[in-house]
Amino acid sequence: MRNLWIITGWEFWRHLKSRSFILATFVPPLLFTVVAFILFFFYRESRTPQPRVIGCVELDTTRYCEALQEKLNNFTLPGTGSPAVILMDIQADTTEPLRNLFQEVARLKHELDSLNDAYNRIKERRRYIFQRPNSPTKERLLRQTYEQLHMTREQRDLAEIEFNRKKAYVDSLWQAQILRTADSLLFNQIVEGYLILRGEELLNGEVEFHSIYPNQFLQIEPLKTVLQEFLVEMRLRQEGITISQIHEWLKPVVINEILVEGAKKREFSFLQSYLAPIIVVVFLFISIFTPAGFLFYSLLSEKGNRVLEVLMTSANSFQIIAGKILGLGFLGLVQILIWLLLTEGLILAELLSVENLTFFTLRNLGVFVLYFVLGYFFFAAIYVGIGTVYSDEDEAHHVHLVLRMLSISPILFSVPILMFPNAVFVRILSFIPFLTPTFMILRTPLGHPPEIDYVISIAVMLVSTIVALLVSIRLFRTSSLFYHHRPGWTEVWKLLWGKG
Amino acid sequence: MKVVAEKLSRKVPDRLTVENISFEVTPGKVLGLLGPDGAGKTTILRMILDLVKPDEGSVRFDDQKLKPEIRNQIGYLPEARGVYPHHRVIDILIYFARLKRLSRKKAQVEAVRHLDRFDMIDFMEHTVQELPPEMQQKVQILVTIVHDPKLLILDEPFLGMANLNQDLIKKLILRYKEEQRTVILATQQMNLAESLCDQILLLHQGRAILQGSVGQIRKKYRENLVLVEGEDNLTDLKKISGVRKFLLQNQVARLYVDPNQPVQKVLDQIIKQVRITRLEVNRPSLEDIYLEAVNNQGEA
Repeated sequence: MRNLWIITGWEFWRHLKSRSFILATFVPPLLFTVVAFILFFFYRESRTPQPRVIGCVELDTTRYCEALQEKLNNFTLPGTGSPAVILMDIQADTTEPLRNLFQEVARLKHELDSLNDAYNRIKERRRYIFQRPNSPTKERLLRQTYEQLHMTREQRDLAEIEFNRKKAYVDSLWQAQILRTADSLLFNQIVEGYLILRGEELLNGEVEFHSIYPNQFLQIEPLKTVLQEFLVEMRLRQEGITISQIHEWLKPVVINEILVEGAKKREFSFLQSYLAPIIVVVFLFISIFTPAGFLFYSLLSEKGNRVLEVLMTSANSFQIIAGKILGLGFLGLVQILIWLLLTEGLILAELLSVENLTFFTLRNLGVFVLYFVLGYFFFAAIYVGIGTVYSDEDEAHHVHLVLRMLSISPILFSVPILMFPNAVFVRILSFIPFLTPTFMILRTPLGHPPEIDYVISIAVMLVSTIVALLVSIRLFRTSSLFYHHRPGWTEVWKLLWGKG
Repeated sequence: MKVVAEKLSRKVPDRLTVENISFEVTPGKVLGLLGPDGAGKTTILRMILDLVKPDEGSVRFDDQKLKPEIRNQIGYLPEARGVYPHHRVIDILIYFARLKRLSRKKAQVEAVRHLDRFDMIDFMEHTVQELPPEMQQKVQILVTIVHDPKLLILDEPFLGMANLNQDLIKKLILRYKEEQRTVILATQQMNLAESLCDQILLLHQGRAILQGSVGQIRKKYRENLVLVEGEDNLTDLKKISGVRKFLLQNQVARLYVDPNQPVQKVLDQIIKQVRITRLEVNRPSLEDIYLEAVNNQGEA
């Protein structure tokens, strides 16, 4: 056992002082801090109240844009008093031919109105004639006005057809023009998007919103609320409800989101609940794979320069493997301890709020360290096996890469894991040893996994680690003296069952 | 430490096989395992060190099996060598000495003493990679002997070593011999082995083809060896009377002359028969003996 502890100490101290360990310990938190600060400033900047300029296209003359802006004026930016949304009434940029057409329509309208008037006058005159006593003059006048009425009606119908045709044509031209103007404002980034209001459609609750910025659709909710309120208010007014009553009825609901954690309750925070477990998993990944990587490359290099052969004349396979695994495992724990101290330092420097770390309870910390230890032993045992079988660093590097990718792959599932931490598929995947540490750590702060899941996952990890360790010791014993030759799978299988 | 190996055999399919190897080496003696690459030298050393298990046979050290206490009295220098390049020389020596059960203090003292003896005391604080290659080789030798082993096992110690370090190893072997320690030396450099070894085990394809003390072997192969190089066809020389054995390699003929025959008579006949460019009369070296032994085995 003495040699085991000598090897443990040697591996611990020699890697503790290595440049790789210092880099792996201090660069990731530094990088995270820098990225976090950049994101924080970006987030704060993006949260700085800036009114949104939204265009409003009215395809009739209902003046809804004006009324909507009045409504929007009530929604002000926090702390500024200025409206949160500025509604820009978009007008068509009318060209000379279009203006001429408008005049033509106006002339036709005037003509139609004149004919209508003339028609009504004739009708009025006929009513007067009709009330006179019967006489040949009355008969003659009725016949005469009838012809006039008939002629004027024909003229009016023709004028109406002409007016409607022309108006439909000019309206379509005008609508196309106004939409062109709206698009031009959008592309020139003068408006972030525009609404299209058609009187009848609006009353039916249908409004179009156009934008070239996908994020605008994510921020449509407040605008939708205002439109909804506007519409409801308009309908209620039609029903004769008073404005004060309408405002009372439309008072918004405020939901305070409270997350229950055992006996404690706290306000729900995206950062605490979703981001923090992912950050912990990333750091756990580093803390497992930094020492496991050292173990892997140390074995490869010792095999290459035959130091391993000399070591094997002084200590047995178990002492060498256990000594290395333990020494580098302690190194991983030191790395975690350094990170905890750095976190404490950030809290003391008031750069990090304790409120963001409420998930870091003693129990959760214990769970994280437990899964670090289990994960590390499991991967370390596998690395010993691979490190002794391979003698070519390039080939071994590829296997190392695959294993790393496999263990970090749960990050890809992090959203479903965090959304449904106790779903059946998440629970099943938690019991696959390569995924167990990351899955359980992601689930712990948010899902409060059932106790049985902890028991099963720990049992799975323990059994897998023991099997991996036994196989690795066997491989170490039989193949660590193979140089310039990588045994194939069948040969590895034979080595496992063959003599040392 | 007396080392006795009995009928060591190891068969691995498609790999090197060692068959029925036995030897005994006593304190103050140097045993040479000689043979070319692939003869089985390293496998035998690994079986001695219990790094690989023999299928049959056993190795005993002072009539005991290999135990941790015995293991701690063995120094082993493998064929290809290296040490931790980024670590201080003194730390490496202390580490390996402690693995051999020396206390921390004793390990420090022994490391400094050995460094001083090898004129490396000024470099003890240096990392290995800071040292020139020949110094690095010295560190490798020191790692092997820092715990003052009673049994020294060297696998191709002269291979790749600087000349100065080759001398150092020779002196080390001779010193160990004087100090009544045991040395097992595996090498393919037979001329060096001849001057250092007391006993020799010549290996060919995992089997012992010749074994005994250097004196015994020399006595057995005491005949003269005539080397002939010439432009003519040299195969006719094997018909010369008194030539016990004839070998032709690369236009060099080796004529093993019967010890009872006068050499002068053989030389006269050679000069008569072919135009020679080189003619040498030698006592056969270990290499010649090895070649002959291999040849004899082939014929048998």
